[in-house]
Amino acid sequence: MEILSPVWPAATSDRPSKSRPRTLQGATIALVDDNLDIPFTTHLEALLAERFGAKVRRFVKPSGTAPSPPHLIEAAREGAAGAVVGIGL
Amino acid sequence: MNLVSERITVDDYEDAVELFFERRWTDGLPVVLPTRRRVEAMIGHVGRDPQESLGAIPPRGGEATIEKLAINAVMGGARPEHFPVVLAAMEALLDPAHNLNGVSQTTHMCVSLVIVNGPIARELEFNSRDGVFGNGYRANAAVGRAVRLALWNLGGAVPWDTDKSTLSHPAEYAFCIAEEEVDNPWPPLHVERGYPAGSDAVTVFACEGPHSVFCYGTPEEMLHVLVDSLGSLGNNNVHVLGQTLVTLNPLNAEEFARRGWSKQDVRAYLWEHTRRTLADVRACGAVHEQFRKMERDAGRYPHRYDLDNPTTRLPVTARPEDIHIIVAGGRSYFAAVLPGWGGFGGFAVTRPIRRPR
Repeated sequence: MEILSPVWPAATSDRPSKSRPRTLQGATIALVDDNLDIPFTTHLEALLAERFGAKVRRFVKPSGTAPSPPHLIEAAREGAAGAVVGIGL
Repeated sequence: MNLVSERITVDDYEDAVELFFERRWTDGLPVVLPTRRRVEAMIGHVGRDPQESLGAIPPRGGEATIEKLAINAVMGGARPEHFPVVLAAMEALLDPAHNLNGVSQTTHMCVSLVIVNGPIARELEFNSRDGVFGNGYRANAAVGRAVRLALWNLGGAVPWDTDKSTLSHPAEYAFCIAEEEVDNPWPPLHVERGYPAGSDAVTVFACEGPHSVFCYGTPEEMLHVLVDSLGSLGNNNVHVLGQTLVTLNPLNAEEFARRGWSKQDVRAYLWEHTRRTLADVRACGAVHEQFRKMERDAGRYPHRYDLDNPTTRLPVTARPEDIHIIVAGGRSYFAAVLPGWGGFGGFAVTRPIRRPR
């Protein structure tokens, strides 16, 4: 018998991923906060600076329960070796 | 008919059923096999272009084409005459006001309830009476599951990946009811929401499962227990507002109406009297406070409530109209409250059901 697939074929990204940084030492890291738990992010920022000398750029989503707007993603991407996103509870 | 989905040839019925488990194309239950004949019958009934898309289903963004929705509707056990209801529900779910992206991924246990109104509910034998949230009726089960399978296969809302619900609840399999409109003294939900009496419509609202409310007696007695149930400190609404749903049974509604209470009167009373003091909700902890602050920053928690005064009496919704009231179930002692997700979304959205010409 012939049946039809209920899913779409897996999408392939047309945008190459950034290469992962080899080390966090001295790297610039973007932290995108879900606006839920700012103290957690503040602590994370301190640890990254203390242990790795990392420079942290902080961003806050306008809503913790909706996707980041494209301009925020681009701003976080700009000049950062990596980003930590989806910081919430 | 121009269908673009991958075709899979399987010789054996049992192997075909197992294939859906192996590929994680089902929610944990077996499915009706989506053969081309069944899928074409589904699409043919609504007479729409198979490649018309209702939009991208979050979080993964698969396009909700008529063809893919038909395949998932067949899998859920729907018949062609159920398909217009499924499509209306999907249109409602994809309205940005519902924030399906958040509903599908939140740690909260809300699931989008589908409420069917209008003559079509009786014609297709949707259950609106005894056991309304339960099993036993194909229309409720099949439409409910068709919607959930579409969110599963096209939206990618699966519990080992994007669906972060801490506990979830069994409505993840199917969550569809009809409102009782015959044994009901009040205007039905879709008419309250702007649709003509006698029209067919679907409303979606993301909520917890039904909480039983032992609700019987005079209006004053029923309101007393409803107020207490709506204002439970475990509800998101108490902390971050949003919307909530009250389901009264036909006997409850009849008793209210007999004493001259309109649905709006009941709603206004519940909104005015379901309150907790700021001191009370603050005692729940700092995290709750953080969420409340986030909602105020987002402009969703009205400034008229002083969040520095411990005696401030806080409501469960920002406006009376955010307390939705429907009539359903048997004529008995029990009502239900179904708290929402809070101010984050899952809000009620209503769409008309387009019957085939």
